[in-house]
Amino acid sequence: MAYRYDEQSTPPAAEQVTDVAITRFEHVFEVDPRLMAEHVTQQTFPNWDTLRIVRSRTDHLAWMHAHWCTTVVSGEELLAELDAE
Amino acid sequence: MTVTESLAQHVVDSLVAELAPVLGDEHVLTSKTARWNRARVPAPFPVHRWSERVPDLVVLPASTEEVAHVVRVANKYSVAIVPRDGGTGLTDGAVPERRGIVVDVKRMNQIHEIDLENGTCTVGVGINMLKLNEVLGKHGFIYPDDPASYPCSLIGGRIGTSGWSLVGSRYGHSRDLVLSFDMVLPTGETITVGDGGGQKLTKSSSGYQLKHLFMGHQGTLGIATRATLKLFPKPEAEFSPFWAFADYETAYRAVGALPRAGVATFAGAVLFDEWKVDYLRRDDEAYIPQPSSVKALVCAVAYGNEDEVRAGGRRLMRIARDLGARYLGDEISEGDWAARHDRYATPLHGRTRNGQVAPMSWHCEDAAINYTRLPAVRVAWHGILDRLRRDYDVFDDWGMFAYTSGNTGLDYLTEIDVGIWEQELDDRAWAAWVDAKREIAAVSLAHGGSISACHGSCREGEVDLVPEELGGAYEVMLKIKRALDPNNVMNPGKYGLDRAYRTEDS
Repeated sequence: MAYRYDEQSTPPAAEQVTDVAITRFEHVFEVDPRLMAEHVTQQTFPNWDTLRIVRSRTDHLAWMHAHWCTTVVSGEELLAELDAE
Repeated sequence: MTVTESLAQHVVDSLVAELAPVLGDEHVLTSKTARWNRARVPAPFPVHRWSERVPDLVVLPASTEEVAHVVRVANKYSVAIVPRDGGTGLTDGAVPERRGIVVDVKRMNQIHEIDLENGTCTVGVGINMLKLNEVLGKHGFIYPDDPASYPCSLIGGRIGTSGWSLVGSRYGHSRDLVLSFDMVLPTGETITVGDGGGQKLTKSSSGYQLKHLFMGHQGTLGIATRATLKLFPKPEAEFSPFWAFADYETAYRAVGALPRAGVATFAGAVLFDEWKVDYLRRDDEAYIPQPSSVKALVCAVAYGNEDEVRAGGRRLMRIARDLGARYLGDEISEGDWAARHDRYATPLHGRTRNGQVAPMSWHCEDAAINYTRLPAVRVAWHGILDRLRRDYDVFDDWGMFAYTSGNTGLDYLTEIDVGIWEQELDDRAWAAWVDAKREIAAVSLAHGGSISACHGSCREGEVDLVPEELGGAYEVMLKIKRALDPNNVMNPGKYGLDRAYRTEDS
């Protein structure tokens, strides 16, 4: 079972983003582990499972848009039009 | 908190003997899991006293006739009945405070008719809006009732609570979208209520308008079983910009200006205050990287035909830009809006005073507040939470929203989100929480608002102020309750309605 391999459960080095958050994967934020020391402790997690959860969330949000409508209008496009006036 | 003893076993046996032949043995449940899992709703409650709210049995009827049978049996034995739909409400409507029989309606989840010509559908109340819309979407329709519990709440609960919808500024709320429904009264008779006698009418002037009476009663006036709903064309397009502001006051002006712009596709606008931004900076991937200059947020949403959404969206963007807002970009805007349909999936944890993460349940106190009163209510509510948090390190202030209830910016669903470490609650902490809820409700009334725009107001604390809010209308509520439910079997203990049965001597 791949999830038992240590290297898959060893995340990349953390980069401090704010005083309460770190990042190990691009655009994926975690609570600073120092804040999860007393009441809730962090679990060992396979890297691929972290990324799978993040991607699943993205899939879910895309599904929700399609559920409600056909097209999502871009605010960036509208703002560019306004700025060009 | 009133504690009711469980029914004697011989009474439970008698109830089962009367119910099982009609509902089927497998639909009359007495197991511990069946009963304990239907003892609470997502809102925090005193976990240490869970056992005091466990029903004596659970039934799963499949038809209006079966529901009526259950109600008649309950009257015969003077046993409480509690309707339960999705169990997602935030004011304890589905909590069996007096035990008795929980009527779980989830088997009544059929789509009986889709009327493509008139644009209606008729469903059992056990169906969920998301699942219904998966079917309606194939026909180019949508039923746009959109609570934060959209994937898990049910039509019947929306009727019982008179639900509030995220896109209600465009399409209306549950009371506007439910055209008519079959209702089993507390004595077992069945009526159909809607506008007049027709089941598919949006406006009638015939007779008393009873539909509103039988919506939002939190299960105290009967059980809806089958409903006819108003459908809309499925929108071609959606627009959901999120903007950052450097101060609350400017964001406040924006959330007032957006609905007043008169954009026909406008479906809602939300103001997130400084406390909410601080909360999002802790845990929300969209806001953790935001600069410290961001002090408040506003979002707007529009639905409709693409050309109309684009034209209206341009106007909304101009309003925000002219007020100095910074657009947060398509990725954050689209992702955050999509997530709002499904807030019950939010990971729930908060912070103790020293910043440590602790498991916390989400609760929100809500109110209906006029636009001009929003800033003052915000300050008063946070003050209440600050005192509570200082005294008990099991509460966390997760900030406030103000959300348009309509399309003119008149009044706003106003919420303060509170993290509660349920496992650490004891009687003292719970009593302090109830006191805080009462104070929060009192602030709403002092500012000319209503205790609730969305959830209902029958939980401990705020319920004490309902007579003050409604005045003489509350006395009419008592008379109606006693007239329709002479044995006080239908969800007793809610809204203080027990006082309808008090005699001079008692």
